[in-house]
Amino acid sequence: MVTRSSARAVCISCFACCLAVLSGGESLGQATADFFRQNCMNCHTIGGGRLTGPDLKDVTERAAAEGKDREWLINFMMNPREFIDSGDPYALKLLVESRNVPMPTLPGVTRQRAEYLLDLIEAESKLPESQFKGLQISDKPFTPADVENGRELFVGVKQLTAGGTSCISCHTIHDLQPLGQGRGAGLGGGRLGPDLTNVFERLKGRKSLSAWLMAPGTETMQPVFKNHPMTADEIHALVAFFESTAGKPVPEPSVSRITLMLLGLAGATALVFAFDAIWKRRFQSVRQPLVDSTPVRGH
Amino acid sequence: MSQNFLDQFLFVALPYVCLFTFFLMTIYRYRMQSFSYSSLSSQFLENKHHFWAVVPFHYGILVVTAGHLVAFAIPRSILAWNSHPLRLYVLEVSALIFGLMTLIGLVGVIVRRLTHSKIRTVTSPTDWVLFAMLLVQAASGIAIALFYPWGSSWFASNLSPYLWSIFKLSPDVTYVAAMPHLVKLHIVLAFVTIGFFPFTRLVHLLVIPNPYLWRKPQVVRWYGTRSKI
Repeated sequence: MVTRSSARAVCISCFACCLAVLSGGESLGQATADFFRQNCMNCHTIGGGRLTGPDLKDVTERAAAEGKDREWLINFMMNPREFIDSGDPYALKLLVESRNVPMPTLPGVTRQRAEYLLDLIEAESKLPESQFKGLQISDKPFTPADVENGRELFVGVKQLTAGGTSCISCHTIHDLQPLGQGRGAGLGGGRLGPDLTNVFERLKGRKSLSAWLMAPGTETMQPVFKNHPMTADEIHALVAFFESTAGKPVPEPSVSRITLMLLGLAGATALVFAFDAIWKRRFQSVRQPLVDSTPVRGH
Repeated sequence: MSQNFLDQFLFVALPYVCLFTFFLMTIYRYRMQSFSYSSLSSQFLENKHHFWAVVPFHYGILVVTAGHLVAFAIPRSILAWNSHPLRLYVLEVSALIFGLMTLIGLVGVIVRRLTHSKIRTVTSPTDWVLFAMLLVQAASGIAIALFYPWGSSWFASNLSPYLWSIFKLSPDVTYVAAMPHLVKLHIVLAFVTIGFFPFTRLVHLLVIPNPYLWRKPQVVRWYGTRSKI
C-alpha cells in the first residue's frame, strides 16, 4: 500500500529528476556560448575588431605563428596573470597591445571550460560572420542633441538602458553642471576613476573610445558593465559628450573636496549643538533633583 | 605572495572567519555569560564630558552603519535615488556629516577615557583595541568620502554585489580587486571588527529591547565592588 508520504516522496523525486534532465539537457555548445557572451565579450569580438583585448578570430593560428600551441592558450585562459607575472614575451606583447589592461583571471575557467571556449572560438572563426562580432557603432556626425544626451547619461538624469551605473558615480569631467546651466553645485563628479575631460584624446579618438565603452576593460568597470552593457546609441551620445569636452581645462579636485568637507563640518557642528539644545535639561532632569532631594547631613 | 592570493585571503577567507567567529562567539557568550551583555556604561563615574562624546558618536555610527546596510540590501534603490545629482549630493553630504559626528564623538570618548583617572581604570585593553579599530575605520571612511566620491553610488554598484556574493557562498573578488588601498583597508577592518564584536562591549548592540535611542536620560549606577576605582 502506498502511503501519502511515500507518494509525495516519489513525486518530489520525479520532479527533481525532471529538473536534472532539463538542466543537463541544455547543450554544451549553448552553455559555452553563454559563458563567452557573459564573460569574454566585454573585451573581445570574433571578427568584429579589437576592443580592449584582441579580436579572437583565428587566434590559434596567430598564436602558432608566435610559437605558442593550443596548450599554451588553454593555460593562459585559465590564469593570464601568472603568464604576465612570469614575463612570458607573448603574454607581455598582448598586454601592451591591450593598453596595459591585463586580462583578468575569470572564476569558473577550468581546463575543460577553456578547451570548450577555444573550440567555440575556432568554430566561430570559420564562419563568414560570427554571432560574437559585437556592437556596430554609428559613424554619423555628432549633433548638439547627442552632446546633451551624453551629458544627461553621464550625470545620471537619463539612466542607462541595461541598468549600468552612471559615469558621475566614479568620474568627473570639465564644467560639470549637473543642476543645469548657471546652477552648478560645485561638487562635480566622482573621483574613484580618472577625470574624463580629455578621455577622447587619451583613448585616441572616436573609434577607439567607442570600442572601449562597448566593453569597459578596467578591473573596476568590467564586473559592473559585464552584465549591464551600454547600447550603441548610448555609446554614440557619450562619445559625443566626451568629444565636446576635449581640450578643456581639467577641474581642480581640491575645490569640490574642500567644499564637501566644509559642508560636512558645518552640518556636524550644527547637529551637535542641536543635540545640546534638545537635551538641555539633561543634568537637571535626573541628577539635580536627586541631589536637591537628598537631605543634608545633620538636618 | 601574489596579489591574487592576498585578495583571496583578505576578501574571501578572512570574511568567512570573521563572520563565523561573530555568530559562534556571540551565541556562546550569550549562553555562558548572559549578564556580560552590557555597554558597561561609565556615565555614573563622569557625566559632563560623557554627553559630548557618546551622543554624537552613537547617532553618527548608527546612521552611517544603517546607510551601509541599506546600500547593501537595496542597491538599485540607492542608485535610483542618486540618479538626480542634487539627491546624490544631499545623500553624500548627509553621510559625511554623520561620519564626522562619529569621528568627533569617538575622539571625545578616547580623550575622556584618557584624561579621567576613574574612567581609565575601568577601561580594559580590549576597549583600547576596539577604540583604535573604530578610530581607523571612521577616519578611513571619511577619507574615502572626500578622496573617492561618490561612495554611495559605487558601493551600490561594486561593493554590494561583492557582499552579496559572500552571503550567497559564491565569493567574487573581482568587484573589489582593483579598489584603492584605502577602500580595501576599510572593508578588511569592517570584517575584523565584526569578528572582534563578540569579545567587546559592542555586544550591547544586540540586547533587545534596546531603547537607548528614545528613552529618557538616566544615570547608570555600578552594583558591585568599586575598590579599584
